[in-house]
Amino acid sequence: MPQNETISELGLDEYKYGFITEDKPVFKAVPGLSRDIVRQISTHKEEPRWMLDFRLKALDIYESKPMPDWGGDLSTLEATLDQIYFYLKPQEQMERSWDDVPQEIKDTFERLGIPEAERKALAGVGAQYESEMVYHSLKEQWEEQGVIFESIEDGLEKHPDLFRQYFATIIPAADNKFAALNSAVWSGGSFVYIPKGVTVEIPLQAYFRVNAERMGQFERTLIICDEGAEAHYIEGCTAPVYSTESFHSGVIEIIVKRGARFRYTTIQNWSNNMYNLVTQRAQVHEDGKMEWLDGNLGSKLTMKYPSCYLVGDRAHGEILSIAYAGDGQHQDTGGKVVHAAPDTTSQITSKSISKGFGRASYRGLCKVYDGALNARSNVECDALLLDETSRTDTYPYIEIDENTASIGHEATVSKVGDEQLFYLMSRGMDEAEAMAMIVRGFIEPVAKELPLEYAIELNRLIELEMEGSVG
Amino acid sequence: MTSRRANSAPAPVSGALASSDFSPLVPGVDDPPEVARARAAAWKRFSALPWPTKKSEAWRYTDLSAVDFGALTPVLHGAARAAAADGDGSLPEEARGVLARSGDRSGVVVLRDGQVSHIRLEPEAASEGIVLCSIRQAAESHPDLLRHALFEADPAPAEEKLWSLHIALLGGGFFLHVPRGVKLGAPVHAFHILERSGTLSSSHSFVHAEEGARAAVVDEFLTGGAAGEGDAGGGRNSRNGAAPRLDSVSLHGASVTGDAGSVVEYVSLQRFGPGVRHFSTQHVEARNDSRLVTFNVALGGELSRADVTSLLAGPGSDSQMLALWFGDSAQHFDHHTLQHHAAPHAHSDLLFKGALADKGSSVFRGLIRVDKGAQLTDAYQTNRNLLLSKQSRASALPNLEIEADDVRCSHGATIGQVEDGQIFYLMSRGLTRGQAERLLVFGFFEEVLARLPLEGVRERVRTAIEEKIGL
Repeated sequence: MPQNETISELGLDEYKYGFITEDKPVFKAVPGLSRDIVRQISTHKEEPRWMLDFRLKALDIYESKPMPDWGGDLSTLEATLDQIYFYLKPQEQMERSWDDVPQEIKDTFERLGIPEAERKALAGVGAQYESEMVYHSLKEQWEEQGVIFESIEDGLEKHPDLFRQYFATIIPAADNKFAALNSAVWSGGSFVYIPKGVTVEIPLQAYFRVNAERMGQFERTLIICDEGAEAHYIEGCTAPVYSTESFHSGVIEIIVKRGARFRYTTIQNWSNNMYNLVTQRAQVHEDGKMEWLDGNLGSKLTMKYPSCYLVGDRAHGEILSIAYAGDGQHQDTGGKVVHAAPDTTSQITSKSISKGFGRASYRGLCKVYDGALNARSNVECDALLLDETSRTDTYPYIEIDENTASIGHEATVSKVGDEQLFYLMSRGMDEAEAMAMIVRGFIEPVAKELPLEYAIELNRLIELEMEGSVG
Repeated sequence: MTSRRANSAPAPVSGALASSDFSPLVPGVDDPPEVARARAAAWKRFSALPWPTKKSEAWRYTDLSAVDFGALTPVLHGAARAAAADGDGSLPEEARGVLARSGDRSGVVVLRDGQVSHIRLEPEAASEGIVLCSIRQAAESHPDLLRHALFEADPAPAEEKLWSLHIALLGGGFFLHVPRGVKLGAPVHAFHILERSGTLSSSHSFVHAEEGARAAVVDEFLTGGAAGEGDAGGGRNSRNGAAPRLDSVSLHGASVTGDAGSVVEYVSLQRFGPGVRHFSTQHVEARNDSRLVTFNVALGGELSRADVTSLLAGPGSDSQMLALWFGDSAQHFDHHTLQHHAAPHAHSDLLFKGALADKGSSVFRGLIRVDKGAQLTDAYQTNRNLLLSKQSRASALPNLEIEADDVRCSHGATIGQVEDGQIFYLMSRGLTRGQAERLLVFGFFEEVLARLPLEGVRERVRTAIEEKIGL
């Protein structure tokens, strides 16, 4: 994109994913949560008995745990949850061919550019609409090598042993209140297995769309990256703008085995009426490497801290987090690294931008257990404030029980400097262009790690959001 | 303990806090009406509040339930009278020993188990209108100042329980008031001596510098009854032999206020002997263009917690917050800080450094809060920790909450060990490993010591640290 393109020339609308599709779900549960709803979900999915038991037990755990009193404002969430549809089945069965997806759902994803992206540069695509995956496909080349890329339901049905061996082992139902909720009502998400030594060179992608009003989406993803394997998984999320609140609570569990390497990228652009409370965690074994690239641009409130549990010698974890908090948004994001083995290393880089009445908070944990010899971790957080009404916070927890560890944390908060603006304007830019350029430079370290189309999207968004921020 | 000392305090009641009949008001003992009212109100509040648990963020790493307050004997206010001390001859030997080796001072205060036993201001200082008196006297001479700082204080919810207990049981304290334009040349040196085991005592230090005035105070906390010339509880080598173990709790508060253009230096040097649990709450208020320095040194005791709040109340104000701690055996140090920027154009800089040996552990939780409208704030916060032994532990929680945009704020925290290369170098010059390590710790502390403006105070602290780490 030319650097001197002005904002008006970009011609972008406000939130371009805010459109609503008229749909005809095949099943819609009554709003609110109950044991009956949980049973209904399990029945619709024709699940084995153990899964129903797991769900019901998780529901008890959910009900016994108090609402978190930290992070964002959850004071009205309980009332919101009473009105939420916990399960909404959009079509009878998941399709393997794009042509078989119902027209109105297809239209939605066409407008979001998903099929086009698949043709161009993806190894596999999954699309979730409301509560279910409506489409899942994997290119033959990878299927032949034994890669599994299925909906989570098909994973349970077709690979029951592999599934049961790992499911809920990384994030047990009792991990936190919202992990318990997800465990009770989960629906949709991906099941991924990358066999030993296989490298999937181009990304797998899952796309999550909430269309209905007062919808709760609870996807559950389980990824096993076997020894020496490599892959990259991308998820994107959007929803229409309603006056009522919606709710999204995913659980993502990843196992990175010895010498494997996995990257998980999220570009969350939920509409501003969405609560987004997600638990994402990877267990990283000997010489394994896990990278989280976490982009939080949308939602009303996001509380999400991708985690790396480094359990094998020399395991490495990396979290790159970028958050944008505009008017009415609170991004409470960050990352956690837990060093539980010798010579493990980690890096967290967080960049946040707060604009208008937005609030961006970094919350993170760096924990080194006794015996994790020579663990090294470095955390850097930078926050940029664009208005006198915007707010930023930094809440890191550093807990070190091992004296050979070497741990560093640094954070800075600043506004766009008058000198920087003045310099760029003296070179012929107007103030808006200069501002956009400075912000782009600020997020560059994260943006350059994104796949090209996302990087462009992010840049456009920044341009758009800069509109009216000057003066 | 000599009988002379025992006579100076009223007969305490054992296990009083656990009794429903207990009242901190002592009939027949002269308590200024305002103090008595505040005491009664604080006792009521204390009785109504639950003890903070580890579930409270502010007490996450320090288990207050391990301190059995109910078993302690409160040392109530009353019988002690300030002795008319003409020279150092009548001072307790612990104080005399320190003073003999320290530089000049403007006044001396001695408190035993929280009760004032000596208070003396040099005639030269008195002639300039400086006031140094007991809190009780100040309640009559400066009721407004006292009320503002002590009885109208608004502690954070997590600190309210201990603060209420501090006020309810307030045994004594001193009041230093430096009038407009007067410069106190040398510090007032206060000795808080604990003498009896199983007690709960409370004292308060009050410092107010008027416009353009200058003041300096050293609060030194120690265990009495040690042999030698006042090295009670200090040195690594002498600690076990010299200072007796006292299973006591010391509550201390400090209120330090600097009016426009004033310069105030406040030092708390905690070198209690074994067994003591010390809780200190310090409120520092910096008004327009004032410069305030607080310096907390924690060396002794079993558990030492300091809550230090700096309120940047006026434009141009400057607060330096410094601290050092060295923990060994099973000592636990917990430092909580708040740099509260309520006014624009203010500057605060925090540097807290700790080193831990044996099973020593420490917590640093610091917050920079910049209010809306506190533009052009410059605020920095640095915490560095050295872990010297396998079993030492450190936690760091450097937090930021920023609601103004035109600010420069940063924080950094590190946890690590002494560099092998440096140890090797010193050992090649003939030092043992232990000597080399201690020398490097001393060098690590020097950066903080160098920021103390008054040379005499700097030397006093340096000596205390040398004694502790056995250099």
